Amino acid sequence: MSLDLTATSVFVALFLFVTWLGFVAAHWRKADLNVLHEWGLGGRRFGTVVTWFLLGGDLYTAYTFIAVPALVFGKGAMGFFAVPYTILIYPILYIVFPRLWRVAHARGHVTAADFVRDRFGSRLLALAFALTGIVATMPYIALQIVGMEVVIGALGFPAGGFVGHLPLIISFVILAAFTYTSGLRAPALIAVVKDTLIFITVFAALVIIPAKLGGYGAIFSSVPEEKLLLPPPSGDSFGSYSAYATLALGSAFALFLYPHAMTGILSSSSGNVIRRNAAFLAAYSFILGLIALLGYMAIAAGVDKEPAFAAGFAQYGPNFAVPALFLASFPSWFVGIAFAAIAIGALVPAAIMSIACANLFTRNLYKEFYRPDCSDADEARMAKIVSLVVKIGAVVFILAIPQSYAIQLQLLGGIWIIQLLPPILLGLYTIRFNAMALFAGWVAGTAVGTAMAATQGFTSSVFPLQALGVTIPGYAALYSVLVNFLVAFALAPIFDRIGRTAGSPAR
Amino acid sequence: MPGGKKKSRLLRHWPRLLFLIPFAAMLWVSSYNRTAPELGGIPFFYWYQLAWILAGAGLVLIVYWIESKITHTTEEAQEEAEPSGVPGDIL
Repeated sequence: MSLDLTATSVFVALFLFVTWLGFVAAHWRKADLNVLHEWGLGGRRFGTVVTWFLLGGDLYTAYTFIAVPALVFGKGAMGFFAVPYTILIYPILYIVFPRLWRVAHARGHVTAADFVRDRFGSRLLALAFALTGIVATMPYIALQIVGMEVVIGALGFPAGGFVGHLPLIISFVILAAFTYTSGLRAPALIAVVKDTLIFITVFAALVIIPAKLGGYGAIFSSVPEEKLLLPPPSGDSFGSYSAYATLALGSAFALFLYPHAMTGILSSSSGNVIRRNAAFLAAYSFILGLIALLGYMAIAAGVDKEPAFAAGFAQYGPNFAVPALFLASFPSWFVGIAFAAIAIGALVPAAIMSIACANLFTRNLYKEFYRPDCSDADEARMAKIVSLVVKIGAVVFILAIPQSYAIQLQLLGGIWIIQLLPPILLGLYTIRFNAMALFAGWVAGTAVGTAMAATQGFTSSVFPLQALGVTIPGYAALYSVLVNFLVAFALAPIFDRIGRTAGSPAR
Repeated sequence: MPGGKKKSRLLRHWPRLLFLIPFAAMLWVSSYNRTAPELGGIPFFYWYQLAWILAGAGLVLIVYWIESKITHTTEEAQEEAEPSGVPGDIL
């Protein structure tokens, strides 16, 4: 593949535009960016529209846009679980998170760890939250880079070596610089551009590609029959049905526990902003569902059999399906727009994730354990520096370590992050709950979930649970968080009694 | 009067029971794992779930609308100064 000059020019021009936007964002809704909640939460002033763009840009990432159709392209119907998943997240967002917003707003919490620290008075539990959040987010940032790498490679840049990685390194230096100066304002503003480009790309794809391929009927009839539907369960197993349902349900419960989602939620200006967005964010889900279908369009177009794309598929696997489909279907200048949409789509979540990690590190590790007396300015400065370190770490991670590790770690990340659910829910809906019992639940849930993934060689998060003579394959995150809840509830009365007899005041 | 408080919260939040519908629909996988009837060439499995995205969003809007109506008409004053069991007030 040689470098596509037209596409690359459009791509670079759009990239320069958002770079400029990222730096200008520092002056948007001007405030003192040397205070953490201004730098890291945009001053908690984002209304319904900005929050819509911010959360949309944050949750529907470049990796999603590459990986979901890649999954449908490779595995068929099972990959479509992303759709019921995004349907189920919104009732959860509507019910739970305005409540959390209210507490966080009243008490000045910047992170979920701040909330449990304050709510349960437990530094140990807050530490568990901070570490889980950071560890689960790092591979997620790394995967955004994978998304960028695929489109940069598809533009025809030479793959591999220092020169091959140069465009990626340059983009991340730019990203790091404007995140440092503008904080959460930068991705919030860039998200508007990103989503506009994504919407344009998807609508164009849905008009042009099916017309070329002879309509949806022709597209679906070219999909192999075994991919079109989930294989019905047989024998004593719930088979793919329970796997599909639990993947959707578990992912939905896990999503808003991620630090970057929490940052998006806490930066909104009111609980009603969150409630309204629980309805309006569905627009992105719909786009995601349509993007998933691009996987089938790639099958129908036969891009994997075209010699021109053989090198791309060899290098990036099924992740190359959508870029190849765009290259085969669009004129060069529009390929530039579509690829820029994906690359900028990586910048937005990567920025928010690094800010969220920086918030966690600064508030809950640095300030809590190392410099309890640090000033507001020190706190903000530290967070800015950590956001740089996090991004450098993610780039090194992806360049130095095989990509499959990042994917496996992200899979584990989902299992780890869902373990934060019991303390959040019980913190919001009970008057009091024993912190040590919650900590024990977290330990048990994390251990069981990790062990379940280990039995699958860390390649699948679906664990075949054997119970009462039947096999129920299900998402390990969901099984392990049930263990977490059970342990917490079982130990709470015991720890409460120990606490009382030890003479300490009941917390 | 904790009993009264509980009752008023149930009154205000009953529309949220509607959220059980998308959960039931999406988790009952065998109800939609089929190709017929097709819609514009798209098998049932796919268009049904895509349609549920819109239905789910519609449900959230309905719940939001009813809830804000209830709070505005009957409990306007109570809502803001609500001394309920919400941790924001406990902490």
